[in-house]
Amino acid sequence: MNAVWGLTWRELIRKRVTLMAALMTVVFLVAYWFVANAIASEPQTFPGDLSIGLFSKFISSAMVLTLGFFFGAFAIAFLAIFSSVAAVTGEAEQGVLQSVLARPIPRWKWFMGRWMGFVSYGAMYALVLFVAIILICWMETGVIYNLLVLLKAYLLFASVVPLLVSLTMFGSCFLSPLGNGIGMTMLFGMGWLGSTIGRFMGLGKIQLEGLQTLETITGLIKLVMPADTLQQRMLSELFSMSELNGLINLNRDLSVFSISDVPSNSFLIYCAVYTAILFVGAMTVMVRKDF
Amino acid sequence: MTTPAVETINLSKDYGDGRGCRDVTLTIRKGEAFGFLGPNGAGKSTIVKMLTGLITPTSGEAQIFGHASGTMEANRRLGYLPELFRYPDWLTGEEVLAFHAKLCGLDRIASRQRIHLLLDEVGIGSRGRDRLKGYSKGMQQRLGLACALLGNPDIVFLDEPASALDPVGRHEVRELLARLRGQGKTIFLNSHLLEDVELLCDKVALLNNGQVLMEGHVSDVLRSKSNWRLRVGGYTSIAAERIKQVLGLNVVVSEQPSDDDPVWLEIELEDDEQIGLVNYILIELGLTLYEVGKVTSRLDEWFLQAVSGLEHRGERR
Repeated sequence: MNAVWGLTWRELIRKRVTLMAALMTVVFLVAYWFVANAIASEPQTFPGDLSIGLFSKFISSAMVLTLGFFFGAFAIAFLAIFSSVAAVTGEAEQGVLQSVLARPIPRWKWFMGRWMGFVSYGAMYALVLFVAIILICWMETGVIYNLLVLLKAYLLFASVVPLLVSLTMFGSCFLSPLGNGIGMTMLFGMGWLGSTIGRFMGLGKIQLEGLQTLETITGLIKLVMPADTLQQRMLSELFSMSELNGLINLNRDLSVFSISDVPSNSFLIYCAVYTAILFVGAMTVMVRKDF
Repeated sequence: MTTPAVETINLSKDYGDGRGCRDVTLTIRKGEAFGFLGPNGAGKSTIVKMLTGLITPTSGEAQIFGHASGTMEANRRLGYLPELFRYPDWLTGEEVLAFHAKLCGLDRIASRQRIHLLLDEVGIGSRGRDRLKGYSKGMQQRLGLACALLGNPDIVFLDEPASALDPVGRHEVRELLARLRGQGKTIFLNSHLLEDVELLCDKVALLNNGQVLMEGHVSDVLRSKSNWRLRVGGYTSIAAERIKQVLGLNVVVSEQPSDDDPVWLEIELEDDEQIGLVNYILIELGLTLYEVGKVTSRLDEWFLQAVSGLEHRGERR
């Protein structure tokens, strides 16, 4: 299994996925630094006539981090999706699997090795991006977050990787790489849209007669693609939203990036179970599939 | 009784669209070279894939050295070169083999030695350090062959091993397979190159529309007819009548370049011993006998005869 895991890392490095991801991340971080600098130098208004001070710094930092993780969520999602998009059917079509699966290695070990390779790679990239975003924010706003809070936030940020890899590998058991890639990207987009609509509804910016129906639709979308909802929970944990309740209204300043749709602990358990079901389901299909 | 290298009993695969194979029963003994023939779409690759565990049979049994196909025990004993395969082109030839050596459970030192030995043996040599994206199709085929032999398997399944090779490459592969056969390895050769099958294999089976039409030893297949060709001067139809009268055999003029030149006669004997009498009759009649030789039957003739007039689903419109 370690050999398969190692091969997956080598593949992502040799195919220049790492190089491209690193280059684009550097470009983003440079741009992000400028934006962070601009936001931090702009004094924030705060009810109670405190224009400069601790709360103001905190709001600036929250805005900087929300913007950073907005990009970060897309970056790790696309990395997770496109690295694993051809894992089963694609590799069978290319003729890679035929020579490998005739070896004395159980199919589940091959699948597990690939999954662990994609997930560990994505989690590593998520860690680098997470640390870079936090560091830039700290340098520009001076706000330091508690280490335990950061750890919790990172785990939530990176939890999207196993979810998306499992979902994409499940799709790759049935679809060609192109079909799977398009499907997963659109599903991710729908999840993001569902979450955004949820945010707008939370802010009272959408007031329709069929609000109930819309809520049901967005709820269903979030169940199928909970990536952005997990992101909401991550930001909520990072900014300790529950502790700030009544003290400041962060959502007013974050506007469309507001964290008004925070999922419960039960939803986190649902996400873990959903990921496990997708993982086991994909592995079962792969083990029984004819190549 | 020793365990056969391959044994299938009523092995079937039904894809639900008419493809696949039905009730294939084969036995290949250890050390045999077995040629598996058939038109395109006959189901040869399906059977090889069932034997290597890539496809689950719909019904029937398949065993490799007494182990059910697809199990780790069976896969440990086999090497496989698929018909359509591609190794990751971002790896070097050595890296591909090193990765497969790990999957075979070879230790690092043993695998390094074996990799270099095999790269030399298949004619890749030091180019094994190059990435595969610079390899020609023939080079990839050679690498595939090295990969199939990596775990020192007792049986190798080769699905069109020489399809992408030039004549020199084909010759080298044939030599390599002959060496393997000499080492007591069992070879399962799935090929359209009947010349290779004829030269290498002990046994052949012919598959059409998923069913085994014929099976037998290559020597028996090639010896099934006793056709002779004779080059005769001064031939007239009297000679044919005399042979018909004495031996009850028909003589056919197969070639007559011009009226004055000797003709080529062809005769199918019941027994090779009859050729002496044929010669005697011709000389007794005052004819000149320039050449006499047995027509060697070729596997491709056997193949064409066996499948002629049959419907091949691979060509169905």
